[in-house]
Amino acid sequence: MPGAWRRVSTVNEILLWLFGAIAVTGSVYTGISRDPFRKLIAIGLLSGAVMPLLIDRGYVDIAIALSLILPVSTIVVLQLCRKGEP
Amino acid sequence: MTPEFIIGLIILLTGTVITAFPQRRDYLTRLINLEIPAFGLLLIALSYDETLALLTFIAVSTLSTFVMVLVIERTGGEP
Repeated sequence: MPGAWRRVSTVNEILLWLFGAIAVTGSVYTGISRDPFRKLIAIGLLSGAVMPLLIDRGYVDIAIALSLILPVSTIVVLQLCRKGEP
Repeated sequence: MTPEFIIGLIILLTGTVITAFPQRRDYLTRLINLEIPAFGLLLIALSYDETLALLTFIAVSTLSTFVMVLVIERTGGEP
């Protein structure tokens, strides 16, 4: 019947929203936390949630490049987090 | 309006507000917070299928983080 169709969300779309919720959680937790190490862990959560979104679009090469480059920036930032400092 | 676009907008806005008004007002906190809007922009570029923009943006943001870390080490980390 025209005009009365209901929008059906596929399983893939539900998964996209789920990973998006994880990404938003990671970004909010990065802002809330005060400890730099916790911030870096939350950034890792955020980057981990972005990966499935990239792969779902078919950009596996960019996902590989991202997973190689992101730990480098985390290691570089870790040099600034001095020992004994909160 | 794909899900990536909406999620990217949410992360971009959240990250901008968090970077502008951080919990601790030192350089390290702002530098770590600066990575959040980068992810939001990455998701928005992903929703428009811009492959070259994605790759270039990731590389340049990591490079700028490296330069910022060098500068912050030189100043001692205190604003």
